[in-house]
Amino acid sequence: MSTTQKFVFFALAATIRLLLIYSEYQKIIADRVEVSTALNSWKKVTEGVYLREAGIDPYTGDLFHESPIGLVVFSYMQKYLSLCMLCGIFVFTDLATAWILGATAYRYTSELIATEQKDIQKRKKESNDEELSTLPSSMSIPASSVTSSALLVPSAYLFNPYVVFNCVGLTTTVFTNFLLSAALYSMINKSRLCSCFTIAVLTLQGLYPITLMVPATIYLARNEEGKNKNFPYGNINKTIAMFIGILIALYYLSYKVSGSWSFLHSTIGFILTVPDLRPNIGLYWYFFTEMFEHFRWLFVASFQINVGLLYVAPLALRFRRDPMLLAFSYLAIAAIFKSYPCLGEVGFYMALLPMWKHLFPHMQQGFIVSCFLLSCTVFAPTVWHLWIYSRSANANFYFGVTLAFAIAQIFLVTDVLFASVKREFSLRHGLSREIHGNTGKLLLE
Amino acid sequence: MRSWVILFTLSTCVLSAFSLEATETGHSNNWAVLVDTSRFWFNYRHVANVLSIYRSVKRLGIPDSQIILMIADDMACNPRNPRPATVFNNAKQHINVYGDDVEVDYRGYEVTVENFVRLLTGRLPPETPRSKKLLTDEGSNILIYLTGHGGDGFLKFQDSEEITSQELGDALEQMWQKRRYHEILFVVDTCQASSMYEKFYSPNILAVASSLVGEDSLSHHVDPAIGVYIIDRYTYYALDFLETVEPSSSKTLSEFLKVCPKRFCISTVGVRKDLFRRDPKNVPVTDFFGSLRPVELTTSTVNVSPVQLNNTNSPKKPVIKYKYVDQFPDLSYV
Amino acid sequence: MRIAVYPKCEKFLTSICEWAKGCLKVIQLQLQSCAKMRTAFAMYFIQALILSAIGDVGFVSCTSDVDDAFNEELMLKPLPSGHVYAHFQFTTLWRTDIETETFQHSRLFPRGLGEIIGRHNVRELHVSLTEGLWRYEKWGYPLQDTGSGAEVYAWFNDDRRIDENWKSLTNALAGLLCASLNFVDVSNSLSPDFTFRPSGAIPRPLNSSCLRYSSLPREIVCTENLTPFKKLLPCDSKKGLATLLNSAYIHNTNYHSIAVDVRPVCTNAACTQTTIELRQTISLVYDTMTTDSQDWSVRKLFGIGLRSACPLATLSRVYVDVTDNETSETYRLVPEPPETLISLRGGQENRIAVYDIKSLSNAGMFNVAAVHSKAKIYGVEIPPVLFANRYVVGYGQERGGLVTKLHNNYWKPLDVVLLENIPWYIPVYTHTIRITCQGKLLKPLIKRYVPGRERERPYYLEMVLRLPPRSVTEFSIELDYLFLKWQEYPPDANHGFYMGPAIITSLLPTARNYTALPQDGSTISSSFNASRDGYLVQLRTEILLVSLPTPDFSMPYNVICLACTAVALAFGPLHNITTKRLVLKPSKKNKLVSYIREKLSKTKVDKIE
Repeated sequence: MSTTQKFVFFALAATIRLLLIYSEYQKIIADRVEVSTALNSWKKVTEGVYLREAGIDPYTGDLFHESPIGLVVFSYMQKYLSLCMLCGIFVFTDLATAWILGATAYRYTSELIATEQKDIQKRKKESNDEELSTLPSSMSIPASSVTSSALLVPSAYLFNPYVVFNCVGLTTTVFTNFLLSAALYSMINKSRLCSCFTIAVLTLQGLYPITLMVPATIYLARNEEGKNKNFPYGNINKTIAMFIGILIALYYLSYKVSGSWSFLHSTIGFILTVPDLRPNIGLYWYFFTEMFEHFRWLFVASFQINVGLLYVAPLALRFRRDPMLLAFSYLAIAAIFKSYPCLGEVGFYMALLPMWKHLFPHMQQGFIVSCFLLSCTVFAPTVWHLWIYSRSANANFYFGVTLAFAIAQIFLVTDVLFASVKREFSLRHGLSREIHGNTGKLLLE
Repeated sequence: MRSWVILFTLSTCVLSAFSLEATETGHSNNWAVLVDTSRFWFNYRHVANVLSIYRSVKRLGIPDSQIILMIADDMACNPRNPRPATVFNNAKQHINVYGDDVEVDYRGYEVTVENFVRLLTGRLPPETPRSKKLLTDEGSNILIYLTGHGGDGFLKFQDSEEITSQELGDALEQMWQKRRYHEILFVVDTCQASSMYEKFYSPNILAVASSLVGEDSLSHHVDPAIGVYIIDRYTYYALDFLETVEPSSSKTLSEFLKVCPKRFCISTVGVRKDLFRRDPKNVPVTDFFGSLRPVELTTSTVNVSPVQLNNTNSPKKPVIKYKYVDQFPDLSYV
Repeated sequence: MRIAVYPKCEKFLTSICEWAKGCLKVIQLQLQSCAKMRTAFAMYFIQALILSAIGDVGFVSCTSDVDDAFNEELMLKPLPSGHVYAHFQFTTLWRTDIETETFQHSRLFPRGLGEIIGRHNVRELHVSLTEGLWRYEKWGYPLQDTGSGAEVYAWFNDDRRIDENWKSLTNALAGLLCASLNFVDVSNSLSPDFTFRPSGAIPRPLNSSCLRYSSLPREIVCTENLTPFKKLLPCDSKKGLATLLNSAYIHNTNYHSIAVDVRPVCTNAACTQTTIELRQTISLVYDTMTTDSQDWSVRKLFGIGLRSACPLATLSRVYVDVTDNETSETYRLVPEPPETLISLRGGQENRIAVYDIKSLSNAGMFNVAAVHSKAKIYGVEIPPVLFANRYVVGYGQERGGLVTKLHNNYWKPLDVVLLENIPWYIPVYTHTIRITCQGKLLKPLIKRYVPGRERERPYYLEMVLRLPPRSVTEFSIELDYLFLKWQEYPPDANHGFYMGPAIITSLLPTARNYTALPQDGSTISSSFNASRDGYLVQLRTEILLVSLPTPDFSMPYNVICLACTAVALAFGPLHNITTKRLVLKPSKKNKLVSYIREKLSKTKVDKIE
């Protein structure tokens, strides 16, 4: 990887973003329901800041759902920064996110190679099977992938149209993504304070990233695993205590800043009870529009459990050896099933994919998923226009598109996870799929 | 002294009427629930249907306070109505069924399945005004008349929801268990109307339907000035019959059940008598379409103590100074 | 039962009362003993009979020296646009304190309404039902401003349990007036700080927390509202001006409005005592240009002549505003008015022909007609000092804007209060408020804003603006259209949703085109020669129809199934991956495929054979 190449990439990405921001398309993109949701729209932030300046508690209304700390930060931003500088900050934050992701990918890939080499060595010592000791070399990760993934991940972030739209639409997801990347980077660098702090801030703002504490804890606990064979209770407790401490401090600070606890209803309450039924790329809006009122709470609860609780433990147990993949799966599941998802979040987890370049050969649904994603990206604005503006279509059309988009993402995530399982199998048992000369089949049992 | 005499004669008249009927029928008061479930201008005929029945029961003596009239849309003052504040049930326009003193209790969006079932079963919110309550008791004869668009086993409300025959049957059973009626005459004018009473299982209900299952109920005729069909066949002939009934007339329900034979109605009028304990031949039409005003008088002498007047020396209230306030904010400080 | 007895006819009435009381007592006793007769209807009936008998006697024999009075008035005013404005006002005044009165017994005041007021601790009540829009530009100012649809606002004596009282009050009014006022609740009610001040006499300052205002712009007005309205009158529709209220003629107008206003007013000049004033008004605007001749008469407008005055009325008058006839002399009134008043008010001179029905009615059917001697030529209408328009901008069902235009034709700046009443399903962005006047930004003097909450509270925005002289000020704000749950849409969802009118309050320095009653006046006659420092107008703008995006109402089951399938699609594989182990198994040949293949090859062979 050359520094010039990297520089050119970043410069190009910045140019694209700035050009779009200053074009007439900025407003169109910012108004898209796929880009701006009730949680991240800059227009709502502006309204919240305006109300705060006018001495009205923005949480008494229905439009503002950022955390009080975010409100203070944004109100300073809007007060002291010109529009130009504001746009600059958005672009700069996006580029910084990409850079941090690059650094994360570099670290992750080099660690991955090191562990796998160690594993193979260990296994070589343990078994005398010739086949096993030689086979993985064909599927082992080449050293060059360290630099390539460090370049591919940031470029996947910089040139992902979803992320570009997100930045051009000036959504607060730009900052959320930055914090997410910082969290990933600090957890892989085993910085306890940093990861706990970033995840706590993310939790305060969006609630769902709380699941990232699981991979973070695993990473931080791993530190001593080599030395000490015992389960690192103390370490885990320390991490969790620190996280909870910071979170409580943040909530208390929010309370102090806003003067009352009413913000809880407009932030956490708003995320959990899904009162806003404006369409977005998720599954909630039409589902709860069409829901029978007496079943509403049942389904709200089950959908929230589905996104927040159901998969946490099983995935953590299964992928405890690869916490980054675990973090990726949590992020992806949240981006698909959360109450107000947006394209920026989808773009973020997709940008992480090149880290698992070595899994691609084991994936089966790449073609289907990309076709799905492409057609959804084209159809969503089209059917939206037909429904809302020319009134020749109805809500079902747009729901169909969001449903397809969600299913494509589900295929993508499960495919990646399944590929990881398959690769693990191959590492142990070789690439051959033959049993006593007959072709066998890989099955889950 | 004039009023004394009038009062007495009036009372005795009513008294004799009551004592006669009370022994025969066992009911003490009459109520009517008249429901039009259809919205939109092209359903003008359903409003005309329900108003025709409203006119008849009012003419035969049920007071407005005992008629619950539900109309899902405003036809009389609809911008499309060439003659505002009128609804006609005949192209000759000789009866304005909307009249000059109509009182609609539930109108527009208030006509919902929930409100209808709540009305029947009496489970209304505490702040509901008296005019929207069905304050019946175990001595009440109720006429329930429904009209609208229906199908096999359901009746549509406002083109957006429907009541099923099972729900209706359950509501009536609840009424019976709560002793909210003595007898019910249930009349429904809709397509496949007889499916609406098939699920009834409570006693003392006589049900009449404009058509059998599988049949459509048809409209009678169109008024070119209004531009839509203005009344349904069954109600048209029912009204024809009811116009001949007087409060004192002895026409019986069996005659009412015979209105609109198949050659006029095109559909077959369905009747369900098995839940009804009396023979319709012996039941006067006025048992349901008319009203009883039971009064009892005594002839024994009465001692009345003189009225106590206490308008002398009420305690002096402290003088309060009232004033009018400015209607516009004082802007001198801005 | 309590029967008030008037001193003059005390003896006679006492005897009747005695008899009635005893009678009732006996009936009650009988009722208790007789199981079959437990219903109270008999009692009601008797009670009604007795009361009416007593009432008749009472009214005839003792109308003097009582503490209540009834006035009926009709103002007919030909408008410069060729319309005729008819305004009925029935005023009942009752010398009693609204706070302490129990409303157990009343003479002229409708008891049904009185009980509602007493039970809900109401200090002041204003209800109106209006069809059509008052065109300020063409017609000037009405005697009473009302917004299209139903509008109701009330001042309560205090704010204890006010929301329950308000809900219960509107429900009771819904029953009383046969209107759907029961749809009023906290989610569409406001307590504006400036727009509605108590118009009656108050003993202590009232805070706006004692005020509730709501409007139902969708509400229709028809005969069923007029019927109970007429029943509130002491003479019902049997006698007096109310006989002119025939529904077929009233609902055939360009604008008609029914209003009931109750407030306490000062009884004496020092204002140490209050009188309850019930003002029932009906405003009608007839179009006389579409008929064959421009002539109009009471009989033509209302379909019937006037037979007699209401015997209970102290004042029974018909006024005709003949100001516009003064210069052009295009019509003459038949019969000639016995009296013509000249009213000087705030720089405006009005000539008013007065007919006293009480003195005229002896001569048979009374009918006032305007007979045109030459065709009336309509000139350019001079718009009034202040008027306003409101409309929605933008297209599509996603977002839009709201624009209110305020026209000030006066040569001096005018202070106005603008109240925007925005329902909760149309969220607005206050940071997008722009108030421009002649290209310049205008800053509101005072601004009040309470953001709305979905299903709980509307958006309340009230501003005090100083409009520059001879200017058009434009207020604009951006809004979104909310996506509702499918069961929240009305049956005709695609018809759209209505937004109530904006209210613009101002104290005009001149009474040009102004006809409303002064604050301290109760009858139309009190508005003649009533010069004051300012003339209050409360303009209502147009009501607006917006179409919200709608879901497919037939889809609930499908959507629930499909969305749950998507969740299951994730759950299945993730469950497998996390709970199962990967094993290599000998692959079984697909039986079906091999079977078909076999068959196919066989048929091929057959064919060859």
